[in-house]
Amino acid sequence: MNPRARWHPWGMLAPTLALLAVFFILPIGVAAYESLYSWDLLTPPRYVGTANYRAISAHGELLHIALRTLGYSAIVVTGTMALGLALALLLDRPGRFFAFVRASVFSAYVVSWVAVALLWMWMLDGNAGVAGKLLRAVGAPSVSLLGDPRWALPTLAVVGVWKLTGYSMIVFLAGLQSVPRSLLEAAALDGAGAWARFRHVTMPLLAPTAAFVATTSLVTSFQAFDVVRIMTQGGPARATELFVYAIYEQIFLNLSVGRASALTVVFFVLLLAVAGLQLRVWRSRAGDAR
Amino acid sequence: MIARRDVLRACAASLALASTGCGRRARPERRDGRIVVTFWYAYGDLVRRVLLELVARFNAGQSRVLVEAVHQGDYFECLAKLRTGIAAGAAPTLSHVVCEVVPYLARAGVLEELDGYEGARALPFVTALGQRGAFDGGDDQPLVSIPFNRSTPIAFCNARQLDEAHVEPPRTWDELAHDAGLLTRRAAGGETRWGYEVPIGWWYWVAMVGQAGGRLVEPDGRVTLGGEAGEKAVRFWQRLVHVDRVMRPPPGRDYQAWQSSMESFLEGRIAMLWSSTAFLRYIEDNARFPVVAAPLPRDVRASVPTGGTMFVLLRGAPDEEKQAAWEFVRWMCDAEQTIAWSTRTGYMPVTRPAVERLVERGWYARHPNDRVAYDQLASVDPWPWTTDLLRIERDVVEPRLEDAVLTGRDAHELMDEARDDAARPA
Repeated sequence: MNPRARWHPWGMLAPTLALLAVFFILPIGVAAYESLYSWDLLTPPRYVGTANYRAISAHGELLHIALRTLGYSAIVVTGTMALGLALALLLDRPGRFFAFVRASVFSAYVVSWVAVALLWMWMLDGNAGVAGKLLRAVGAPSVSLLGDPRWALPTLAVVGVWKLTGYSMIVFLAGLQSVPRSLLEAAALDGAGAWARFRHVTMPLLAPTAAFVATTSLVTSFQAFDVVRIMTQGGPARATELFVYAIYEQIFLNLSVGRASALTVVFFVLLLAVAGLQLRVWRSRAGDAR
Repeated sequence: MIARRDVLRACAASLALASTGCGRRARPERRDGRIVVTFWYAYGDLVRRVLLELVARFNAGQSRVLVEAVHQGDYFECLAKLRTGIAAGAAPTLSHVVCEVVPYLARAGVLEELDGYEGARALPFVTALGQRGAFDGGDDQPLVSIPFNRSTPIAFCNARQLDEAHVEPPRTWDELAHDAGLLTRRAAGGETRWGYEVPIGWWYWVAMVGQAGGRLVEPDGRVTLGGEAGEKAVRFWQRLVHVDRVMRPPPGRDYQAWQSSMESFLEGRIAMLWSSTAFLRYIEDNARFPVVAAPLPRDVRASVPTGGTMFVLLRGAPDEEKQAAWEFVRWMCDAEQTIAWSTRTGYMPVTRPAVERLVERGWYARHPNDRVAYDQLASVDPWPWTTDLLRIERDVVEPRLEDAVLTGRDAHELMDEARDDAARPA
């Protein structure tokens, strides 16, 4: 269908473009501008050039934040995808029992991050928590998982996996409904075992679903804030300071709008790079498929 | 069904409301003929209950002013909201802020200067707790802050465990390390009773910098973070955690760590705890063992910083509201309110008449732990009047203290980094 006038498509796009411009592009522009100033919200801003970028890069701080964020996302994305797929395959069966288990697994996803974080803090308490008691019961020394810089980030990531697995399971279950039974039956008749059917029939047909789960999990994991704010406040020793929390901390707790803006700009560039990479991988796969 | 026009009207109304919220109010808010003073505060539990009772008593005792106390999270959450509120022109009339941020807010010109308010300069504050004694050169600045919930760090000891180990509360760092060793018990099941615990944080480190003979900022304005004394304090903690293994760094940051260590102390898993005098009453009321408070031990000298917060009036509020807020602040500084506040919480009585009445009433004889806290005020080192102090605390020093103590990184290297970072623009 051709538009009756050349401006019609632009007219249709205008509301979305306006929203994007006001709430996405303009704020990034403002952040880029403010990253060149030393400003604390209350006193007049002072131009400092690239000093904020140098400050956040000093002593490897920026690199550490980026690596932590990527590490956290890697665990969350792979964990939720693997567990979600495994549970979907396991629970894709009729019956009340399986429906109950599916609902139970999914329930974690609908609980708020704050409630999840508080629950896990209580469970992980080195002394009074379930984790500490279990460790002591097997004779292992009680480790404060959230108090140890080596364990705090993986622990937060595990909490993220626990919270998001229900979501990925549901999406994979929906994906499994679209795998034609006839194909699986044909493969079985041809002598393909369970693993071969999964490897050569189910997996390729689930690829678009997996891509969707990967993208949404990646976005959610990059936005991690509540879980950090409640469980560790970026500590211990900055071991759980992820990008969004670091930005919040700089602007609201450390009184530094300039450094927070510099972090925002770098985060934006990092997200662009990751999104570009992901797009490229998909396009090349789509090309292979054709 | 909602018409599109209704939706648009609702959006327009919301925008209009939002935009009025961003402007400064010229006229005071009134309710039933009373001027409303919005007071943003930052406490929980017992302290919150006591404060709300006092506010209710003030509101019931007169008919001109209505104080509306609004809880805003912990100190730093409250401060974050306060700054945002000020920037948006939606700040309250009255709030309270940690000492470290007063010079910054004063420089930003957002605090009401109180010198001209009736009786402001004549309020008989305990010197170490008022602006004059709380800051180096605090008296040279316009009066912008009034002491409210003021405290110092203090040592709480489980008297039963100390008696069993035949030790007295330590008076020096060496005694602390030695006694913590005697008090630490490791059970076969992996459960440990720690001799000593302190939240790894700025406030306690500042105390130790002073005790080791250092100062955060030199008289010429250089931020040295105590120099060798700052590093010595970090090394002492590292030794207790990694070498002597008599101290557990509590999990969590900020008040989470404070809460965690206090709970462990109350459960008998820690023999000696450094915490705030603010928790004195709570700890005494909830411990199932006798609690003995002791001054912090000295290294080369005795030293403690003051903590807690100061009342501040926000300059952007309408004059009538500020005047009304001042009435409330003055009322809170009256001896009876000061006594009620301090005896029920553990915060310091901030005026001399309140202290004198407490002595007359035999309060300190009956509550020797409160006396220890009060006597320790003789060792207070004032805060420097430095506008960057909060950033230095939050962004520069605190994460590095955790890093040093938890990972054992070299104290000199870390403090060098910190000094370098402190010199950069915010």
